[in-house]
This record gives sequence, structure tokens and C-alpha cells, in this order.
Amino acid sequence: MSDRLTGLLIAALALWYGWTATGFEEGFGDPVGPSAFPELVAVPMGVFALWLIVRPDPEPAWPHGRAMLRQLGMVVSLIAYPLVLELLGFPIATAIAAFAMSLLLNGPRRASAISAVAVAVGLFVTFDQILGLHLPMLPSFK
Amino acid sequence: MEILDFLAHGFAVALTPTNLGLAVFGCVAGTIIGAMPGLGPVNGVAILIPLAFTLGLDPASSMILLASVYYGTMYGGRISSIMLNIPGDEPAMMTCLDGYPMARKGKAAEALAISAIASFVGATLSTIGLTLFAPLLVKVAIHFGPAEYFALYILAFATIGGVTGANPAKTLMAAAFGLALGTVGLDPVSGTQRYTFGVFHLFDGFHPIVAIVGLFAISEVLIFLEHAPGAHSAVVSVHRAYARVSDIVFSFGAMLRGSLVGFVAGVLPGAGASLGSFLAYAFEKRVSDKDDTFGKGDPRGVAAPEAGNNAAAGGALIPMLSLGVPGSGTTAVMLALLISMNITPGPLLFQKQPDVVWGLIASLYIANVVLLLLNIPLVGLFTRMLTLPMWLLLPVVVMVSFVGVYAINHSTFDLLVMVGFGVLGYLMRKLDIPLVPIILGLLLGQSMENNYRRALSISGGDSMILFQSPIALGLYAATALLLVIAIVSAVRRRRRGP
Repeated sequence: MSDRLTGLLIAALALWYGWTATGFEEGFGDPVGPSAFPELVAVPMGVFALWLIVRPDPEPAWPHGRAMLRQLGMVVSLIAYPLVLELLGFPIATAIAAFAMSLLLNGPRRASAISAVAVAVGLFVTFDQILGLHLPMLPSFK
Repeated sequence: MEILDFLAHGFAVALTPTNLGLAVFGCVAGTIIGAMPGLGPVNGVAILIPLAFTLGLDPASSMILLASVYYGTMYGGRISSIMLNIPGDEPAMMTCLDGYPMARKGKAAEALAISAIASFVGATLSTIGLTLFAPLLVKVAIHFGPAEYFALYILAFATIGGVTGANPAKTLMAAAFGLALGTVGLDPVSGTQRYTFGVFHLFDGFHPIVAIVGLFAISEVLIFLEHAPGAHSAVVSVHRAYARVSDIVFSFGAMLRGSLVGFVAGVLPGAGASLGSFLAYAFEKRVSDKDDTFGKGDPRGVAAPEAGNNAAAGGALIPMLSLGVPGSGTTAVMLALLISMNITPGPLLFQKQPDVVWGLIASLYIANVVLLLLNIPLVGLFTRMLTLPMWLLLPVVVMVSFVGVYAINHSTFDLLVMVGFGVLGYLMRKLDIPLVPIILGLLLGQSMENNYRRALSISGGDSMILFQSPIALGLYAATALLLVIAIVSAVRRRRRGP
């Protein structure tokens, strides 16, 4: 079922991709133009996606229950981190994200907090202070 | 001996204090990354790429760092295979078969020593092979025109899944998907926006390194979360690896055979180190397993796959350096770095950037010696690393990935793209859709399109130009042959059942 669904999605994507390509404007003195290559790529993408619908592989073992909740928690932390990075500044945002990740991995609470702060400070010192990569330091509420 | 002159020049580059320091650092980091279950060569190299950017390294130094990490992971992968029966990375899978039984019999020190020596033999022989064969391939490749390159890319995409690749349809679909991702952004010839939805951040397309770190490092975290994270099994403590000379002599033949098989597997496009160690083990078992000792702790069963995966690593660098077409996932990542540094890979690399090519090759010889020294007396240090809990380790890996990707453009948009690729990578891995073809498509798409358009410009729009030169036809024939092999073996596997 998963394979069929994937095939369907990719086939639809290929159709849209190839169809969009036909609308690209050609430049002067360019006999091939920006449309030809995407049109060429759309064909195998669509064909193999259809093949997947016809001959799917056995269903993979998808996670469920707690494992899936942990993964969802991880994805949420991963998305939240870039959104708050420049707002909270690197050290604070990193400490919070690292703490959340440690907890998701069943780390003991206090040790996770200590290691999260150590990671945040350690990376900040290494990359910003020593390597000269400018990381947002302080919270900025613009 | 022209090659010796070039090699001498390479050593002059590799032996500067900075580059030597980077090589040693790369070896240590690579061994640790390789030893950690779940972190393999692709992740290791992907995580350290950002470091090359933040340190502001020149291309030669960056390649030396990454290549040392690459070789280091090949050495390190064996450690957890032997101690925990968990492969430290994919290529070290075969080492579990005889390595862990040896450790159970109290011969962990011997297994570690023999595998270290086998790694050294495999890696050194393949580095010699790289030194000799890469310049030869360059001499052929220099005659390639746009039509031949187009055919070469077709070959690379059709075969990247390798003969062991899961479902050929999925591999090819992934390659097309990667090529499609590669067309996102401004068309370099006409300036037309393609698939950008008007989003300014997408005008330059997807940065390959952002995609790579997401696909490999972030998806790994999600994969790891599937299994209830718990304590590691107890590690036997080993302080130092040692083996009797007789043991080494006994398995020396296996090392040589494994090196040869692995090297050939590495040179083939898309095969890489995992196939190298797999074939080396299978071959050695066929040759040497007279008394049914394989799988029960035969030292030759440790020597062959370790020589094989290290030899494959060197072999995979040949097509990457001389043709600009990577032979494995890890070399694809290294290629991404070169492209990001505005260096055009391919045969001209040898003429225009001799420092990069020969410095890299020379540093591989140095890395090998360093790794042998690290892995025999200091192996105890690395085995202790295996007891580090994941809740401590994984957040560091994720955060280093974030910092590194942020360093490329100082853009949080890139971080979100990386997470997006991470989720995509996780789903694809669950569905058994290989990730390397996607990376390869993203990396080579632009160059493939340029060659396609250039060829058709020469012919005035006649597609037949793609099928006229004998070199191109030969490449298409090779593609067809390899595809048939892949399909036949996939059908057989399906019949045999999982």
C-alpha cells in the first residue's frame, strides 16, 4: 500500500513537473531552451512511479505508538529550532533543543539538562569564538 | 615516471603542517564516527563538510580532511561489529559474521588487530591503484564531448543503485526525482525561473550539502528513534589490539584477495564499499572455507571484508576524481564539496588543480599510516566510545549539523530545508528507496543538462548526435548490460522471497 501511494504521489508530481516545464520561455539563440531537460526527466520519473503502483514491494514496518510519538516530537523540535534560532539567540535556542532531544531519547532529566547546556556553550565557543562563524548570540525581540 | 613527480608534488602539499594536522584530525574523527553504530561514512563526511566551510579551508585542505574521515570511518566501522555484533556502518556488516564470534571466544584483540592490518593492506593497495589508474582514465576522458558526458551520466544514474540495489525501479525513480530537484532555481542559460514559486531563497536551487546533511544525518536520528533507546549491551574491555605473526600470515592471502575484489567493486559506478566488503567475504568464503569455519570466528572472515571495504573506498575515488562521477555515496558528498567551492570536477581537474588531486592522493597514504598507528595501540579508547549513550551523542550530531548548514548562507531557511530533506530521507529509507541517486541527481543534474543542451546546440537540435560517437554507444551498451544484471538479480531475489 505504501509503495502504491508513493507511486501515485510521484506520478502526479512527474505529471505536474513535466506540464509546468512546457510553459518555460525560451531564450534567444538557445535551440534547446529551459523546457527540454525537465520534460526529458519527467518521463522516467512518471514511468517508474507507475511501475511502483503495478508492482509494489512488501509493506515496510511503520512505527506506531510511543516510537511514532517520539519521532513526531523530534520533528517538531527540529522545525521549531530554526524558527526560534534568531529570536532567542544561539545559546538559549540550542540548549532548549538539545534538552528536548535528549529527553526524547530517554536521557535522565538532570544529566540531559547539563549536557544540553554544555553542548550549547561548547558549540557557541567553538564555532563563534574560535572559528569566527557569526552565530546570533543574544535574544533579539524585534 | 611522470606519476612519481606528481606524487612528490602531492606529498609536498599534504605534508604542510595544516594539512598534516587535518589528516590526523580526520583520521581520529573518522574512526570515532565509523565506530558509532548508525553513523557511517556518508554521515561522517556530511557532518564534517560544514567544518571545512567554517574553517575557511582551501579546496585541497578540505579534500584532505574529508578523505581522511572517509578512510577513518572504514577503519572504525569494524570496531562495533567485532565488539557488539552491531555494524558501526553499512560496509562493516560482513565483519560481524566472523568478528563477533572471535570476540566471544575471547579473541577480540586478535580480531581487532587482524582487521586493522587488513584495512591497512586494502586501503594502501587501492591507493596505489588510484595513483596508477586515475591518470590513465583521465587520458581517455579528456576526449569526451558533451554527447559522451551525457551518456556517462546516464550510465552513472542507471547503475548507482548497484547490483545489490533494492528495487531497480525505485533506484531509477529516485535518480529522476533527484534530477528534477536539480532543475529547481534559475536556469543558468536563459535566466528563466523554474519551480521556484517565486521564493527568493530557491533561486539558487537546493544546496546539495543542505540536502545531503538532511537526507543522511537527520533521517538517521528518526530511524534511531524507532527502536526503543536503551542501554548498550556490555562491551568487553580491550586495551590494545595484538595478534601473533602466524595469525597475520595465515590471513594475509585473504587480505590480498579481499583488496582486489573490493577495489574492482569500488571503481564500478554506484557500487561502493558495502558491495566491496560483501563480495570480498563471499569470494573468500568460496575460496577458503574448507572446514566450515566461516561464520564461527575464522580470522580470514574478518580480514577479507575489511580489506574489501577499505579497498573499495579508494577505488570509488577513481571515477569521482577523473570523471567527476562519484562511485559511492561518500564520494558523491565529496564531489558536492568540490562543486560548492566552484571547482569543476572531471578530467581537467588533474591539469587545473593538481594540488587538490595529488595532495589528496598523497594524504591518503599518510592517513593510512596514521590510521594503522591509531587503530592498533589506541583501539581501547575507541571501544570505550561505544559505551557513550545515544541521548548524549545524537543531540550533538544534530546540533553540529544545524551549525554547519547555517554556516553556508547564514539562513534559517536552509535549516528548514534540511529538516524537510531529513523527513523525506526517513520516508524513503523506510520505503527502500535509495538516497544516493537523489543526491547524484541533484549534484550532476545541472552538468547533465548543460551537456545535453550543448550537444543539441552543436547539432542544431538533432537528438541523433547523442548516439553517434563510438564512446557514447559503448557507454550505452555498458548501461544496458548493467541494468539487465540488476533486473535479473532483483527478479531472482523476489522469487527466492525475503
